Parts: sequence; C-alpha cells; structure tokens
Amino acid sequence: MMPGNPIVHLIGEDIMVTPELVEELTATLGLDKPLHEQFLIFIQNLAAGDLGYSYHLHAPVAELILERLPWTLLLVGTALLIGYSIGVLAGAYAGWQTKQKGAKALTFIGFIISCTPPYLLGLVLFSVFVYHLGWFPFKGLYTTPDLASIMWHMTLPIATLSLFIFARNLLIMRGSVLTEKHQLYPQFARSLGASKGFVLHRHVMKNAILPIITQFAIDFGFILSGALFIEIIFSLNAMGSLMYTAILNHDYPILSGLFLVIAVMAIGANILADVLYGIIDPRIWREMQ
Amino acid sequence: MIPSIKIARKYALSALLIGIFVIMATIPGYIAPYGPSERFGGYQTPSTAHIMGTDDMGRDIFSLLVHAARLSLLIGVVSGVLAIGIGVIVGLLSGWLGGIWDDIFMGLTDTVLILPKIPLIIVMAAYLEPGPKLLIVTLGLLSWESGARVVRAKVLQVRTMGFVLSARCFGFSSAYILSREILPVLFPVIVPKFVLVTASAMIAEASLSFLGLSDPTMISWGVMISDAFTHSGFIRHMWYWWLPPTLCIILGVCAITSIAFLYEGRTRELIQL
Repeated sequence: MMPGNPIVHLIGEDIMVTPELVEELTATLGLDKPLHEQFLIFIQNLAAGDLGYSYHLHAPVAELILERLPWTLLLVGTALLIGYSIGVLAGAYAGWQTKQKGAKALTFIGFIISCTPPYLLGLVLFSVFVYHLGWFPFKGLYTTPDLASIMWHMTLPIATLSLFIFARNLLIMRGSVLTEKHQLYPQFARSLGASKGFVLHRHVMKNAILPIITQFAIDFGFILSGALFIEIIFSLNAMGSLMYTAILNHDYPILSGLFLVIAVMAIGANILADVLYGIIDPRIWREMQ
Repeated sequence: MIPSIKIARKYALSALLIGIFVIMATIPGYIAPYGPSERFGGYQTPSTAHIMGTDDMGRDIFSLLVHAARLSLLIGVVSGVLAIGIGVIVGLLSGWLGGIWDDIFMGLTDTVLILPKIPLIIVMAAYLEPGPKLLIVTLGLLSWESGARVVRAKVLQVRTMGFVLSARCFGFSSAYILSREILPVLFPVIVPKFVLVTASAMIAEASLSFLGLSDPTMISWGVMISDAFTHSGFIRHMWYWWLPPTLCIILGVCAITSIAFLYEGRTRELIQL
C-alpha cells in the first residue's frame, strides 16, 4: 500500500533483525490488524485525547504538537493581524481610486504576490535577506530565549506570511469596494456633500468588508499551510518542521495528528467568521429573530 | 463597448507566456540543448555551454527547466479538467434535481470547501505512493467545490427560463436538456473556474514536490527548487539554479490567473452594458 515500512524506518535499514522480531514489533504496534480495526482503535484513543505515540521522537503526538503549536500560532496570528489590517486599507484605497498610479501599482504588486506560492516568497526573501545581505539569522526560533532574539528570528517569517495575506486581501477588498462604489448609497451620500474619504470610511468600507470575512473562513486552511511551509524554509522548530521530519521518517501518527489539529483550527476559523459576520452585519441578527 | 483590439492586447502578454510554456512542454527536445539525464561536471557556474550552469548531479539546469514544463503543466491542466468535470456534474444535478439531492450535494460541497487541502494531500501522499497520478487525482477530488457552486447557481437561474421550459414542453429528456440546452450556457462561468483551479493545482504541485512528495525520477519546477534547497544550492549562492524554476511557476500561475480575471472582467462589463 505504501512505500517504506514504518518498522524498517524505526529500526534502521542497515540493521539485520530476525523476521520473528519484526513480526513481534508489528504486533505490539498494532500494525498487523486490518486497517478498519486500526482506525477504530485510533478513534477510541482520540476520544480520550490521545493522538497516538511517535516511535521516532519517542513522545506522545499530542505533546509534540502542543509544544510547537504556540510558535505556529504566534507566526500565523501576528501575520494575520498585520496582513489583514494593511491589506484591507490598501485594498479600499486601490478600489476607491482606481485611476491613480499608486493604486494601479499596488494592484499589480498584489496580483503578482498572490500568484506566488507562499514558500517561494519565503525562499526569495530568505535568499536575499539571509544569504546575500546577512541581515537575519539562518535558522531557529531564537539564539537566547529572550524577546529581542525571538523578534529578530521571527521578523522575516512573519513578514513573508503577512505579505502573502496582505496581497490576497488587497485584491478581494479592491473588488468589493469597486462593486459597492457603483451602488446608489455612496452616490447619495456624496450628493449630500459628504467628502469622498468620509463616504469611503463610514459607509462603503463597512459593506465592502463582508466578503473579506467570508474569504477568511475559506482561506484559513491555505494560510495555515502556507505558514507550515514558511517554517520549513526558515527552519523554525514549529508545526511545519515537525510535519517535514514526519514525512521524511514516515511518522504516520504525527501526520494524522497534525492534520486533525489543522482541520479543527480550520473549523474554528469558520465559526469565528460566522460570529464576526453577525457582529458586523446587524441584518443577520434581525433575520434570526 | 471596448474595442476588440484593446481586449486582444490585454490577453497578449498572458497568451505569449502560456504559449512559450506549452511549446516547452510539447517539444522540449528541440529547445533544450541537452537531455534531462545527460551529466557534466556538478555545480558549474553559468557559461556559454551551460547558460544556467549545472546542478549537483551535473545536469544542465536550462535543459531541466525546459523538460520540467511538461509535468508541471500536465498536473495543473489534468487536475483542472477533473475538478471541473466533477464540479459541473455535481452542480448540474444539484441545481436540476433540487430537493433532497440539492441538500446532499451542497452539504458535501461545503464539507470539501473547509477541508484544509494542502495538509490533507500531504497526509494522503505520505500514506500512499506519491507520484503525478496521485497528485492529479487528489487535487481533482479536492478542488471541485467552487465550480459546483457557480454551476448550481447558474442552473437555478436558467432552469425556469423560456428556452428550458419550451424544451421541457417538447418532451425532451432531462439528460438532453442538461447536455444540449443548459451546458452551453454554463460555459462563461466554467472557464474562469477551470483556469483558477489549474493555477492552484500548479501551486499545490510545486509545494508538494518541495516537500519531496513526488516521484523522484520525474522533473518538475517544484522538484528543481526542492533539489536546490536540499542540495546546498542556497549556501553556494546558486541563484541561477532555483530562481529560473521559481520565476517559471510565478509567471505561469500569473499568466493563467490573469486570463481568468480578464475574462470575468469582460463578461461583467458586458452585463453592465
């Protein structure tokens, strides 16, 4: 079914063992049972909060993931904040003033970046700022565990992910503002003598931001996997690097555990988007009542 | 109305880029100076013999770049076709049958929509034998949801229109009406979706090859970048090794995506007129 037997990976390819020992190991790990039984055992353990045991790193999977989760959340959370706030503002400007040179340049840059897979963006920044200019460290989360060192190490990964989130939101917000601009209400507000900036910030942006929230729910999984790749590029010892070593070592419990955690986070993002939607758009509450 | 010359000029750059990539993919042997497995001295700097130098195994990087186009484009296009095929079928049935089928199909669509795709493909590729076939099938099976949604919306919109009603009055079967009357109307919404799915499949292919989750004997742009990353291309400052495939991926995705945007923009403007 799959290339590479986990038992072989566990004991090493160049070590000779008796077939009996291999059988015994397979039996103790439960790998001799049919797949559906293995799955049932997995689900049973899951209900007890047990994601399995990594025989490679000799630790429970839940523990391994929990150790690294805060770092991934730090990277994703900071980048989301920066990327969304700048992206929404820049997108509103680009959609409102389509004719200006600055808006056109912003749209063009946003388009190019959003076409780039996040890890390639990371590779380009890594090569320029780390290898050629030497401004940032080669790898790791910190050299000494203090705030300044962590910030120095995290700047480039966060910048990469923020840039990517910024570009996507810029395009969505631009399109959304463009549609709202041609509605009657902004024109009415303008005819009352409200300034262009006032109409944009007070009226148009509130309506135009709704697609951004819908897109957040769909995009979250994509952004998270982008973060995992960026962690691999910058060798940050977080969830992405855990996934990378698990792939290389055929460490299945870690892979399925990671996927489960990521899926739960994606569902969480969906719930969050629904709640935000209700807060921003009062019509939804009114419909429910 | 926009003059047609202006439309043609809008598409020109994207079409040119895609044309170059398609030529690279179909007849790599005529463009590349060397075969993909010919070996020379490793880690050579660019020279007249090797305009982009050679990689760790001594293969000519420019030749690899040309030969890699085939797999990268193929995975993108075939999974795009697969995804759109599933999306059209699900969307058509959901919109046409309505009722409980609509609920079932749309529930399925919403489930696929929030699945984190790339992590799921990583897990599947790690369990099963990684290779182009697996990539195409999993990418196709996981990217049909946006197509299904737009197709369903369009079917709901046209199913009560005159031409469909008269076809039903004539007693044509559902299969006939769906394939001969409704499918052609769907074309404008399918094209941009197909193009976008193709572009995102190319991104996914590049990302997964980077993790080593592809057939190591086949070359794609993602595999080349992965080789440069794991075989000290970065430490040796060999930007001419990883930058060309990177640019190819970015330009390819940009060209394909911009066609979707231009196409959508044109139809939107036409509707407004």
